[in-house]
Amino acid sequence: MKDLKAVWIMTKLFTLRFFRDKIALFFTLVFPLIFLVIFGFIFGGNDSPSFKVALINKSDTEFSKTFIEETKKGEVFKFTETDFDSAKEKLGRGEFDAILELPESFGILNENQHPSGKLITYYDPGDEQLSASFNAVLQGVLDRINAEFVRVEKPLTQESKPIQTANLTRFDYTLAGLLGFSILGLGIFSMSEGFTVDKKTGALRRMRVAPIRAWQLIMATALNRIFVGMISVAFLFIAALLIFDFNMRGDYFNFTLFTIIGTVCIFGFGMAIAGWAKDANQAAPLTQILTLPMMFLSGIFFPTFLMPGWLQNITQFVPLTPIVDGLRMILTEGKTLLDLGPQLAVIGVWTLVIYFIAFRVFRWE
Amino acid sequence: MTEAILEVRGLTKKYGKKTTVKGIDFDVQKGEVFGILGPNGAGKTTTLEMIEALRPIDGGTATLDGIDVSQNPHHIKEIIGVQLQSTNFFNQLTLVELLTMFGGMYHRTVHPYKLLEMVNLKDKAKSTVDTLSGGQRQRFSVASALVNKPKVLFLDEPTTGLDPQARRNLWELVQTIQKTGITIVLTTHYMEEAQLLCDRVAIMDNGKIIALDTPNNLIKALLKKGFKKKAEVQQADLEDVFIDLTGKDLRE
Repeated sequence: MKDLKAVWIMTKLFTLRFFRDKIALFFTLVFPLIFLVIFGFIFGGNDSPSFKVALINKSDTEFSKTFIEETKKGEVFKFTETDFDSAKEKLGRGEFDAILELPESFGILNENQHPSGKLITYYDPGDEQLSASFNAVLQGVLDRINAEFVRVEKPLTQESKPIQTANLTRFDYTLAGLLGFSILGLGIFSMSEGFTVDKKTGALRRMRVAPIRAWQLIMATALNRIFVGMISVAFLFIAALLIFDFNMRGDYFNFTLFTIIGTVCIFGFGMAIAGWAKDANQAAPLTQILTLPMMFLSGIFFPTFLMPGWLQNITQFVPLTPIVDGLRMILTEGKTLLDLGPQLAVIGVWTLVIYFIAFRVFRWE
Repeated sequence: MTEAILEVRGLTKKYGKKTTVKGIDFDVQKGEVFGILGPNGAGKTTTLEMIEALRPIDGGTATLDGIDVSQNPHHIKEIIGVQLQSTNFFNQLTLVELLTMFGGMYHRTVHPYKLLEMVNLKDKAKSTVDTLSGGQRQRFSVASALVNKPKVLFLDEPTTGLDPQARRNLWELVQTIQKTGITIVLTTHYMEEAQLLCDRVAIMDNGKIIALDTPNNLIKALLKKGFKKKAEVQQADLEDVFIDLTGKDLRE
């Protein structure tokens, strides 16, 4: 009991110390946030198509002006007015998806006093699919305008409705990976960094003079990291809600509890490295060896279902995989800890193994 | 001064084939200041660290206040205070916070300001260690070794690297601590310091104790052998000149 009180006092002061360390603060709170924003914008953009179109306007009719104005508003077409030769060159380089020419006669009123004319589009024959979808969208625009002038009865119509199974955006899917990445950074990178420095300066040695045991130091550091980890995850989560309009389906209790379980597990790896290493030179390669597979095999950056079957069998046992999977299932599918038996089992085994090792290899100096 | 608080018998430390402490014996009496003198590499620090339960004892025993060090290292740590030769503290915490943390490790409520007053650092209470001068840092280190009201205080080269003013200041601190009834074991290679502070000294060389007595007895024994200083002893030396010119007040 007394020993636990000592742990608590150490935890409080470790945390105080952490919040005074500007560099540590940046790397645990701000850096993951920058990461979130960058990845959020890369993966989180909506998927409606847009076309970069070179516009060659030879017509000066009133209608052609209105046509361009109105079409621009839809944001499907991004027009750049240019001449044919440079447009052709850029089409070849892929800087344009198509060239749209409005001939001189475009928009001239016909005998029914309706604007009329024929648009000409040029496309790269190497990109049939792109031009097909471009033409389809453009035809849709023209159809709508035609319908304004000529009322035609349409007995047969079709309507298409999107049904995404859980209405997940890509960002919703990515967030779990980003949270996993942040836990990895906090648990391993910042850990192996901080502890080796304290060994080097002799601060740990000074603590060892006092009647505290390794488990007390490890526990106080772990509690401190869990606390900081929760703040970091909360930061990311709030940013996800505010900036990316994240759609939370799980409940916060399960989310918090599972995050703590995951952090404790990953922290064990950082602790094992930092406890064993005498200095940063020993810690660095070990950190790389452990974190690289976790980063690339756990589904943070590459979805595991894209990997070959034999690799998928391995990845599910990489310690970060069940954490990221579990977070994703809670966040996007509203699962609870009761549904996450297999994930918790893998995390549990890793936690036992890694803490056993961490206590065994711990060195004060 | 008849009761021994520390008994060392046949204490030995080996690193591979090399034996750095070769079966030394000595007692430290309750309430005295005991000095271990010797050149660098004589085994002073290793000896201290074995008694402080920081290094495994390879042979012999150390018994402190009736407790065997290698049998019960954890208990020993609770009743001693240690100032390490090179020590450091977390930079982001203030002196008060550090003392509170160390107190917590001993399950004690400390009065950080009282301790800081004792070592003359009260006005630095809210500073961090990296803003302290060498002498201040050393005094803080002593304060941190006193949080558990130790029975024995170990000081490993407490004045190495300090200027004459800071060194005299630390001597006064050692004497103040001795008056509170704490036994002090210190190492030094300044003979002047040992002569002034220590009730008894052990001189170590090559892992062995080659002499152990009060400073006065050791000097008398040497004179008996017919020793004479080569030059006429002056009544003052350069350090006296320095102190006279710059004053005894601390500069920090």
